Amino acid sequence: MSVDAAVPGAAPARTAEPDLETYLGDPHDPANPVGYPAVLAADERGELLAEGERALDGYGLNAEFVPRALGGRFDRADRLAQVMRAVFRRDTTLGVGYGVTTFIAATPVWTSGTAQQRRWMADLLLRHGKASAGYNELAHGTDFGRARLRARPAGDHFVVTGRKEMVGNLGRADAVTLFARTDDRPGSRSHSHLLLDMAALPAEHLRRLRRHRTAGVRGVLLGGLEFTDCPVPADAAVGDLGAAMETVLRAFQVTRGVLPGMAVGIVDTQLRTVLRFALDRRLYGLPVAELPHARTTLVDGFLDLLISDCLATVVARALHLLPEQTSVYSAAVKYLVPKLLQEAAHRLSVVLGARSYLRDGPYGIFQKNLRDLLAATLTHASAAVCQATIIPQLPRLAQQGWRSSPPPPPALFRLTGPLPPLDFGALGLSARGVDSLTATLRGYLAEPGADPVVGRLCRLFTAELDRLAEICADLPPRDRTVIAGRRSFELTDRYATVLAAASCLGVWRHNQDDPFLRDTPWLLAALSRLAGRLGVDPGAAPDGLERHLFVELLTRHQDNRGFDLVNRHLAG
Amino acid sequence: MRYPAFALAEHLDHGLGDPHDPGRAASFARCVALDAREEFPAQICAELDRLGLPRWYVPAEYGGELRSYEELLHAVRILARRDLTVAIGHGKTYLGAVSAWVGATPEQARRVGAEVLAGSVISLALTEREHGSDLLAGEVSAVPTGAGYRIDGEKWLINNASRGDLVCVLARTEPAGGTRGFSLLLVDKRRLAPGTFRCLPKERTHGVRGADISGIAFTGAEVPAEALLGKAGAGPEIVLKSVQLTRTMCAAMSLGLADQALRLVLDFATGHRLYDRALVDLPHAHRTLTEAYVDLLIGEATSVLTARGIHATPGELSVTSAVAKYLVPTMMDRTIPRLGQVLGARALLTADHADGLFQKIERDHRIVGIFDGNTLVNLNTLVNQFPGLVRGYRRGVVDPGLADTVELARPLPDFDRSRLALLSRSGCSVVQQLPAAVAEVRELVDAGIAPSALAAQAETLAGLVDGLHERMAAYRPQPRQVPAEAFGMAGEYALAFAAAACLQLWLRNRHWLADGPTAPLWADARWLRACLHRLIGQLRPATATGPGPDDGADYDRLLPDLRAQHREGRLFSLLPARLAEAGRPASEPAARPAGAATQPSEVLR
Repeated sequence: MSVDAAVPGAAPARTAEPDLETYLGDPHDPANPVGYPAVLAADERGELLAEGERALDGYGLNAEFVPRALGGRFDRADRLAQVMRAVFRRDTTLGVGYGVTTFIAATPVWTSGTAQQRRWMADLLLRHGKASAGYNELAHGTDFGRARLRARPAGDHFVVTGRKEMVGNLGRADAVTLFARTDDRPGSRSHSHLLLDMAALPAEHLRRLRRHRTAGVRGVLLGGLEFTDCPVPADAAVGDLGAAMETVLRAFQVTRGVLPGMAVGIVDTQLRTVLRFALDRRLYGLPVAELPHARTTLVDGFLDLLISDCLATVVARALHLLPEQTSVYSAAVKYLVPKLLQEAAHRLSVVLGARSYLRDGPYGIFQKNLRDLLAATLTHASAAVCQATIIPQLPRLAQQGWRSSPPPPPALFRLTGPLPPLDFGALGLSARGVDSLTATLRGYLAEPGADPVVGRLCRLFTAELDRLAEICADLPPRDRTVIAGRRSFELTDRYATVLAAASCLGVWRHNQDDPFLRDTPWLLAALSRLAGRLGVDPGAAPDGLERHLFVELLTRHQDNRGFDLVNRHLAG
Repeated sequence: MRYPAFALAEHLDHGLGDPHDPGRAASFARCVALDAREEFPAQICAELDRLGLPRWYVPAEYGGELRSYEELLHAVRILARRDLTVAIGHGKTYLGAVSAWVGATPEQARRVGAEVLAGSVISLALTEREHGSDLLAGEVSAVPTGAGYRIDGEKWLINNASRGDLVCVLARTEPAGGTRGFSLLLVDKRRLAPGTFRCLPKERTHGVRGADISGIAFTGAEVPAEALLGKAGAGPEIVLKSVQLTRTMCAAMSLGLADQALRLVLDFATGHRLYDRALVDLPHAHRTLTEAYVDLLIGEATSVLTARGIHATPGELSVTSAVAKYLVPTMMDRTIPRLGQVLGARALLTADHADGLFQKIERDHRIVGIFDGNTLVNLNTLVNQFPGLVRGYRRGVVDPGLADTVELARPLPDFDRSRLALLSRSGCSVVQQLPAAVAEVRELVDAGIAPSALAAQAETLAGLVDGLHERMAAYRPQPRQVPAEAFGMAGEYALAFAAAACLQLWLRNRHWLADGPTAPLWADARWLRACLHRLIGQLRPATATGPGPDDGADYDRLLPDLRAQHREGRLFSLLPARLAEAGRPASEPAARPAGAATQPSEVLR
């Protein structure tokens, strides 16, 4: 199958490209080297599935991370998330251990590297080489402004001393993007990126540290490296000395903005697994799927998936269309989507009951995904880090952005529409108080002929935005920083929920050619669910809403289609 | 001031020794290693046998030491905080034997008691592969042979089915089934003819990986007539009454696991620095900690009153045990991962941070909500009793046993199995007493004894609980097709019970606990305000504008208490209990053989 046949976002030029989902084959086939049985067995061994790595090499997954201008296939962040979703649907461990790690390592090079560095990294990836993102030091974790690994300039080279720990693939990478202190002073201009060609470094100055083993994504190789007076050529510096923080603030908008869209694949599988159980299993004389509570849980899971995908897709597209605003959006999506997905998976586990606790049998993938989802949530940026990124921007958003931002271009929501190239340099360090995404809500209300039921729900969110604006404009100084009290963190949660609502509205409004998305029921249900999340009463749901969505869920399952916005046919 | 119901727990915890001492059989490091190897904690279970724990599984009237379920609750809690696999691997014998305490003839029960005291492992086999919690669909059959019964069929996902010496089996004794068509048979595996049964392989599980969760298949297994527990056809009734006892104990497992999870995160948050300060001093992080602490206190209040109710208000246990088994595990299923957010990636490590214990707790805990009647089974039990609960609330029915239930200093009456009921006739006194409790709070506030904020909270609570009962009254029962909203109301009812339990626990115990190590928590109703704050937040329905801003000062005030209990090696509790790692204090006597009925004079000492 060609990509175009199923991925609404695929542009005609890509017809010749392979389709990863199809390529990975039937997940339930015991003979499939990358099916669930093989994936589960590798997880038990704590290994990255070797056949999976070979398969992804064969597909050329790394090319998805390399900009088209450099010979790769990366030209759209939303498409990247959709392609990676095929991997996450199958094996989160591969998704993280083969894909995400490399993507995070390469992005700073695309953002701030020289033409030569970009070429080198692109060639390495296109040869299926591995890149590792050397940021983490256990003692400082998320507070990596305090990172201590030091690179001392010494004439035509740097001398690197220190250690990085618990970093994916660090022990076996061909290239490492190293975050190093180049100035002893505290502050945001004291760190630089060095791009290391591991084959060229003198081995006697390097010591490989022990692997850290984890309960989720068990196969990911979390390694460490200790550098002792290790010489590194001066031209390894990516961007200006002292500019690493600024690079990170841009590059991580892309990685954080795209990762949640990949993780949607995990819960897509969770939902399918529980639906399969609910249809097969009889309790009290009925199939579980006919018990009202189970049905509600399944439909809610479907809605959470659609909501998550709306926010994830819109933020990914915003990286192209509204790059000056994505410092807030990328943090919001990395905060909210994993949380929604995790809550959905937990509720689904209640329906699956004891089967959610067994590592063998037809539903064994569920418990693995529970562990992996937890790991994916903590990967790259925890909830608190993402919220702390938004908090300092709240007062300005409150003063201007939520009242008077221009509405976004419709292309932000048009899933099949083209996108301009992603300009890493255009990604703003701060949104400067502008928020076009939420302006979608007011924009819709101002439209003549707006659907009154949709409008009533939209008003709940514009009212919420007004309340948020009132509170955020008066935040005491301390509550505008990373050491803010809980209230500020809760404000970011509420704001992210409004962003999700605006995304759902926009996706509905601007995809009226899509046979599913153009209908209102899913939107009404999604907005009601988000209102409920805010503790706001959405009013009574229209009759038959749940049944309508349950039928959609069943139809997609029977046709073996995904439950996300893409709604594509799956392998098997 | 002592709280004697902790004596058994302290005896066990100190007997097993400091869990941080790697030389101990029951150290955290060893428990994590056993889990990683999927190995049954046989040595630790042997230590518990040596410490005499099986005696507390057997009621005194049948030869054991079990006189107080409150005491057993804390024992299960303290074992689960060390290792859930141990708690269920050993405690399963209580589950296997409980049907005898509830439904067997006294002579039979004494025989079962002797088995337990002799160290036999007894298992309970209810569920089957295709039917799960739908027990009346069970296919395992027991056909009378004249001399006894012949059993055929397979029980699956049975804890200790393979290790057990005896297995208490629920089997179909009437081909047509139905509520009188099943019986309980205590099958002595040691006496079955070879080839008539086969233990199924241990299932590989998400957590409690060392546990023997397996199954047993019978093919023409002949058992003597005396294997029948209670009357033929009484199986479902005995099971439904027995689980009222065991479900209460499940809540204790959640308390123990969440206690240790919070302890691990506090260990980290006090030492780790972020943004130039100790993590515990970052407002967002410390709020997560105090919220978890409040969850633990709510869970404790709910569990302790339910356990005391086994003695004092057993007729209401069908309600209260369902509340405890639903609420406490469900709450901790949320609390534990939230705590993990503070640890960050360390929460995932299987060996490198604090023995890799956190990820084990997180995996282990998920089973508590699943086994012994899952979340939906318990909520359904509440939904089925809505009419009685509404009636009891409207009439303000209060069982005279409520005073013994809520006043911890009062001696507990002996457990009387004849008072257990499948449905409560008096509703739920803890909730039904709420309006009176609110009035009492108002008086205390007017008299300047209680902080005025408490009156506002109590009144808000009363309004919410009134409204809930109105909605419950409007519910028209729909057997089988129970709508999701009914489950939602049942969940709210559980929260209402917890809030009422907290309120009454405070009112009836604030005097005698105004002294001793936990006194600061009690002094200005500090713990109560935080617990009500949290429960009201969860009970409050959606409104047109959503909740107003919440400064959460009620939580912040608990931080010193939390940190003191952590520092001093005490259980996170409203009541004083020292953990093994704190060492045994010279001033306190060695744990007495627990069991003597609690005397108020002793409590107030």
